Amino acid sequence: MTPLLRRGADVCRRLTRHKGALLGLLFLLVLLLATSLARWILPFDPLTQDFTATLQGPSAVHWFGTDELGRDILARVVFGARTSLITAAGAVTIAAVVGVPIGLVAGFFGGWRDTVLMRLVDVLLSLPGILFAMALIAVLGRSQSAALVAVGITGIPSFARITRAQVLSLRKRDFVTAVEALGGSAVYNMFTTVLPNSWSPILVQVVILSSVAILIEASLAFLGVGIPPPTPSWGEMLRTGKSYLYDAPTYAILPGVVLTLTILSLDTIGRALASVLADRHESAAAGDPAAGSPA
Amino acid sequence: MIGYILRRILQLLPVLLIASTGIWAMIYAVPGNPVATMVGENATPELVAEVTARLGLDKPVHEQYWSWLTHTLQGDFGFSIQNREPVLDLIVQRIPATIQLGLAATLVGLLLGVPVAVVSALKPGGWLDRVLSGWSALALGVPTFWLGILLILLFAVNLRWLPSASGYVSIFDSPWQALRNIVLPATTLGVYVSGIFARFLRASLLGELKADYVRTARSKGLPERDVIGRHVMRNALLPFVTIVGLMMATFIGGTVVTEAVFTYPGLGRLLIQAISTRDYPLIQGCILFILVVYVLINLAVDVLYAYIDPRIDYG
Repeated sequence: MTPLLRRGADVCRRLTRHKGALLGLLFLLVLLLATSLARWILPFDPLTQDFTATLQGPSAVHWFGTDELGRDILARVVFGARTSLITAAGAVTIAAVVGVPIGLVAGFFGGWRDTVLMRLVDVLLSLPGILFAMALIAVLGRSQSAALVAVGITGIPSFARITRAQVLSLRKRDFVTAVEALGGSAVYNMFTTVLPNSWSPILVQVVILSSVAILIEASLAFLGVGIPPPTPSWGEMLRTGKSYLYDAPTYAILPGVVLTLTILSLDTIGRALASVLADRHESAAAGDPAAGSPA
Repeated sequence: MIGYILRRILQLLPVLLIASTGIWAMIYAVPGNPVATMVGENATPELVAEVTARLGLDKPVHEQYWSWLTHTLQGDFGFSIQNREPVLDLIVQRIPATIQLGLAATLVGLLLGVPVAVVSALKPGGWLDRVLSGWSALALGVPTFWLGILLILLFAVNLRWLPSASGYVSIFDSPWQALRNIVLPATTLGVYVSGIFARFLRASLLGELKADYVRTARSKGLPERDVIGRHVMRNALLPFVTIVGLMMATFIGGTVVTEAVFTYPGLGRLLIQAISTRDYPLIQGCILFILVVYVLINLAVDVLYAYIDPRIDYG
């Protein structure tokens, strides 16, 4: 086994010992399986309307009941998971791909590059995330890609700041200055010595930001500026369900349960991961003086 | 101290300039003709021409920017396309409602969050600490709009104690009606911030409890109540003040979702209405206003923190 795989396996093993994280992982696994097998395991299509059976409560046929157009709510919740997970994955990718290099360059070079880049990050932080996303959607119009880009951009500052902080703490370490002294170029140094030693906090941020992205996407949909219907989205379902609180209260309850469990799962896994990685660093540093150096 | 404040303000200027230029440029980034998008598909060419002229979109770009900048600095945010009122008037009308909700939510957040933090920090790792940490995780994980819906279902639909839609009644005009209207939205938002308050204050308390002065206080025989109340709390509350301040800053625009759940007539709802009707001058005005207030409150919190903590280095 390569050292990277062994390290990954070790982190996974420690993570599953954490009870909350294990439950979270199981829930996400079930959700992933359900969305990927939805076409085969679900008896109903999320878009098929049935006006003879609108706003029904949960029953043996429709486990989560039906909506105002007679569509099966369970099917819509399962397909809504796909919307949420795709948005989260896309948004976090955008945030990391833009934010990590910003933090890397700002922290590695310092000076005017640091000032300019971090002031730009401050501009992104000058509005609460959801408002920034709303402003972008006001410009781009409502679509899946607009929601994805808007949520992604709100995540850039956290990646930039975390990477920069990590790089600053590594910048003066011997193994980095050694590469410099040996004549390694700055780009080579950044990507082969600094970045590989910065993965832990970035990884934690990926997990935590996924839960934030899902929450923002759902909030945008709830406000009516997210992904346009008829694509099933949890936020949109809650928005419509809110109009039928007297006729079908479960309509506004059940999609919220799944949304909340997803957010809680990711948040718990993220925090468990942070403590596992911190423990690993401490125990590795204590046991093996060379453990902190690059592999 | 004054030098520190001036330096912080100077640092803010480029941020404000870039951000406001971005807000100004919004209208040019709209795909297609923004005026046609605003006035709707059935508008006559005359109307489109009139609105274009009224917005000054027929002039060269640099002239447009200069005129926008000078007008905005004088407090002239232009006119709303939808109801032709000055944008600033529309914004100012909504401020009392948003402030009342923000303050009420902060109060609920403190009432729920501070006891949770203190109790769990006293016995870290105990069963009570674990239960209360679970509460904070739940408070932060439950989307505010869903919590709002659940509260409406319970207190308005089932029990019929409170209204399901909350209007704005000033606390000074009719305290009882104001309370009835604000309880549900303030609780919804307050539960969320209580999670942030609890997590932050707990960490801050735990940090202080490890300090040398706590050992000294204990070893000289001070009762635990005084150690916590007189020494630890005072030091832990210092950084906590900044968090409370920052939360209030986000409330200026961050009550959008809660306002939507309860159809509460605050600033956030004005922005949502502006976006759904594509009223660009109003959208730009709202976002610019929220941006400036948010940045200024952040600055005030920094300055306040430097002022109350003599250890802060202004250099």
